[in-house]
Amino acid sequence: MRKNTSYIVILACVLLVNSTCAMAEENFIGWLLDFGRTKEVRPIDNELYQEECKDCHFAYQPGLLPARSWEKLLNTEALRDHFGDNAEIDKDTLRIIHDYAVEHAADKSYYKRSRKISATTPANSTPLRITKLRYIERKHDEIPDKMIKDNNDVKSLSYCDNCHTQAEKGVYDNDTVSIPNYPDWDD
Amino acid sequence: MCLKFRFDNIAAILCLAAFSASTYAGEASLNLEFPSPAYTASSFSSNSPPLMVALNEVNDVKDQNAIPSSSKAEFEPSFFTGSNLHKYLGLGTVALAIATAVAPKPPEIEDRLPTPAEVSAQDSSTHAKLGRATATMAAATVASGLITHWGDFHLEDGITDPDNLHALLGAAGALAIMYAVSKAPDEGHAGKGIFGGIAMGVAVKLTW
Repeated sequence: MRKNTSYIVILACVLLVNSTCAMAEENFIGWLLDFGRTKEVRPIDNELYQEECKDCHFAYQPGLLPARSWEKLLNTEALRDHFGDNAEIDKDTLRIIHDYAVEHAADKSYYKRSRKISATTPANSTPLRITKLRYIERKHDEIPDKMIKDNNDVKSLSYCDNCHTQAEKGVYDNDTVSIPNYPDWDD
Repeated sequence: MCLKFRFDNIAAILCLAAFSASTYAGEASLNLEFPSPAYTASSFSSNSPPLMVALNEVNDVKDQNAIPSSSKAEFEPSFFTGSNLHKYLGLGTVALAIATAVAPKPPEIEDRLPTPAEVSAQDSSTHAKLGRATATMAAATVASGLITHWGDFHLEDGITDPDNLHALLGAAGALAIMYAVSKAPDEGHAGKGIFGGIAMGVAVKLTW
């Protein structure tokens, strides 16, 4: 019996150590004792970031792109041509937004969906569009065009909050999806 | 005997509920709204007077755009979904595993074969009943997870992917618990059961 118990303890330790690989950068004890839900994307908790982004489009959570992507997107030169628009902002604001985005980027977050985004993005690529991420493409590949591109109330995957009713809270699960004009849609 | 029968029945019901709810979980929720938003919109676009009167807001709906359409603000996620079912089955399994571990166990018989009365006492003990319920719930959890989260499982993402690890640990844990129950009351079944409980607990935590 004692021999069995020691095997169990060893196995339990291996399991726990292995699980830390999935939560790499997070402090293990902190993660273990944290009972808050972290299965989605970290919601935005920076008012300036929220306001500045929301002025023009849905405020995408930093956990939706890796840090190298935010680095490339959030600098003065890049913002002059921000997907075809001039989105220049003053240097101080830019610094705060940049730092916030990089600090909570997908590859630095322990939120599950961010980790999956990070894990499925090749290290040698720097995606600038969230819709072009492998993870995002894979999650939406079964949805027909008529529900997105040809749907006047959606238009593009870029408008996350048109279908993901709790996108602002960082929740993107299937249970909270409601595709406009397709109330009976089921994943 | 009666107690055992009742306990097995509960376990079977849980399993059936898990499967049937998983099947229907993703279905559209019952829409009791009347008239439907689509009907309201089409009726107003043709300026249907009866409906305007029925709504009792004739003066307020001069502009067609004033008609409220179903929007994301009104969307209420259904509680009865496959994901929720899987979540509560998983939490229930871990809770039952803990209860099984702390429940009073029948005295061990090591140096001789147990008498029929002792076998019966072991079989109907709280520990044994909880163990069987845990195994049933673990099986239902794995089944509901496979059905509702199959799309989250991608082998190419490797073992460190949280969903892959969750599936692996959850399945291994459930198998260990079932194996432990099948081996009970033999010596050593406790170790397998504890391993199963821990594996399922870690699986829950990984995707919590």
